[in-house]
Amino acid sequence: MKILILGAGAVGGYWGARMHQSGVDVTFLLREKRAETVKRDGLVVKSPRGDATLPVKVVTKASDGGPYDVIILACKGYDLDSAMDAIAPAVGANTTIVPILNGHIHFATLDARFGADKVAGGLARISGMLGPNGEILHSGANGVSFGERGAKPARAALVELDAACRKAGIEGGLNPDIDQDLWDKWIMLGSIASMCSAMRGSVGDIMASDDGKAIMNEILEECRQVAAAAGHAPSEKALAAVRGSLTQKGGKAVASILGDMEKGGAVEGKQIVGDMLARARKAGIAAPNLRFAYAHLQTYEARRARGALK
Amino acid sequence: MKILILGAGAIGGYVGGRLQQSGADVTFLVRPARSEALQRDGLVIKSTKGDVTQKVKTVLKGGDGGPYDVVLLTCKAYDLDSAIEAIAPAVGPNTTIVPLLNGMRHLDVLDAKFGKDKVVGGLARVGIAMSAEGTILHTSPFAAISFGERGAAPARASLVELDAAIRKSGIDGGLNPNIVQDLWDKWIMLCSLAATCCLMRGSSGDILEADEGQAIVLETVEEGHKVAAAAGHDPGDKGMQTIRSFLTVKGSRFTASMLHDLEKGAMVEADHVVGDMIARAKKAGIATPNLRVAYAHLQVYLARRSRLG
Repeated sequence: MKILILGAGAVGGYWGARMHQSGVDVTFLLREKRAETVKRDGLVVKSPRGDATLPVKVVTKASDGGPYDVIILACKGYDLDSAMDAIAPAVGANTTIVPILNGHIHFATLDARFGADKVAGGLARISGMLGPNGEILHSGANGVSFGERGAKPARAALVELDAACRKAGIEGGLNPDIDQDLWDKWIMLGSIASMCSAMRGSVGDIMASDDGKAIMNEILEECRQVAAAAGHAPSEKALAAVRGSLTQKGGKAVASILGDMEKGGAVEGKQIVGDMLARARKAGIAAPNLRFAYAHLQTYEARRARGALK
Repeated sequence: MKILILGAGAIGGYVGGRLQQSGADVTFLVRPARSEALQRDGLVIKSTKGDVTQKVKTVLKGGDGGPYDVVLLTCKAYDLDSAIEAIAPAVGPNTTIVPLLNGMRHLDVLDAKFGKDKVVGGLARVGIAMSAEGTILHTSPFAAISFGERGAAPARASLVELDAAIRKSGIDGGLNPNIVQDLWDKWIMLCSLAATCCLMRGSSGDILEADEGQAIVLETVEEGHKVAAAAGHDPGDKGMQTIRSFLTVKGSRFTASMLHDLEKGAMVEADHVVGDMIARAKKAGIATPNLRVAYAHLQVYLARRSRLG
């Protein structure tokens, strides 16, 4: 099985590096500059699970080195259009695309471009960031989850990808109910990203305000109702776990979107919060707190667009 | 008439400087470092209405140089307690205290400390800042203060005199028979502006770019409006329309000064400007969902500020 990974960021890069290490046939599709660095220095991983410098295969055009059985798409939602253009030449009749994006809105776009049968569901639970020299600074969580949408039996390529993950020591893997997992992650992310961005603080900072906990619980409930309306209400157990971590007194947890905002970077406001709000509206669910959060993110984007961020 | 001004910051420095320039007897009550700088460099004003550098009288203790007929209080709300302590020795039986603070709560605190008859209403509408070197920078085309009795009684002599001094100094405003309504009008505006600019972290125009930005701003204005009405100080249709249109100018770069403070990591008047509005709403049974979230944002800011030092 041949795997193409778009980009070599913290998530796709880490996942691909571990698979490469275990002998899986992995190729990275990179931009010229990043390709040069990786060809010269190797793909560098610093991780509590072991550091590595790997001479990985790199292409700068998706038409090179194919055809690929699996394409892992680990871009940001706002880069999806250019990412689709980049991978399009590598998508053959038997290719499966595994997108590792937040939210749900990307599925409609990918399905329209490549056909729903080519697009599986996927998500990553890998935490890390890129260092100043492009090295992958992995900081802990080491899991992925993917599978057929609509709870269909997994195609051969996904079964093979699952085997490759096991070999590589990546946790999770094939998930027969990836749809639910996507919703569970989105509920969590929708809540924490909304709150950390709109309140500009960590979970612990939010809990230090009079109504912070109440607002966090309300927003979680708004997201839960949206998931339930889509037929994907989280289990009581899953919900309790999310609630516990999002309302932890003194909690250090903080959404990465806040770090992006404080650096003046692009954010997945529409993908993580805006689309949740749109679905709430469609389902007739009152979502006052998501509304504030999305207005906050849109205000941020307006201010960023005019170059006036502090 | 002898006037004591607490602080020689942006508002106090400008108003006191202009009053002295036009011949009023002004003394500044300041901390030692500020006093030294003023003795050495004078009070420096750079203004759209003309620059001036002048020697000023300063005292370090409210008990010095008095008694004073008028004490102008231009501190921030979170410094009110220490300001009260500082001016207390300067307040005699015939002293009138004119606070130029935002919001309303300071009036209750001052009343409790000095007695209601000594405290009048006052507010400032200025666009003034102070540089790190202590220069007063007045960059806007306007500078006004207004003040007056809070009840229906005619203005006391010292306010009439202060009014004359203000007119002579070229500062706009002066005696205002409806100062309490004016305070509410300004508070509704300021509270809405501060709440939305801080919650959204953008200028008035940035917020209007969000799909529901305008709706959120107008709802927030309405929350303040209801609180004012419950207190018997509804600004009326015309007053409300002024506030609404001021806050919904597309492309406006207008921003609450509280947002600047937030982005500098400075202290903010969260409790005074937003928290107290919510407290009054609760008492009156008025729902304030927007102010609630904005206040949470400010409290999160303060929690993070104290966590990070």
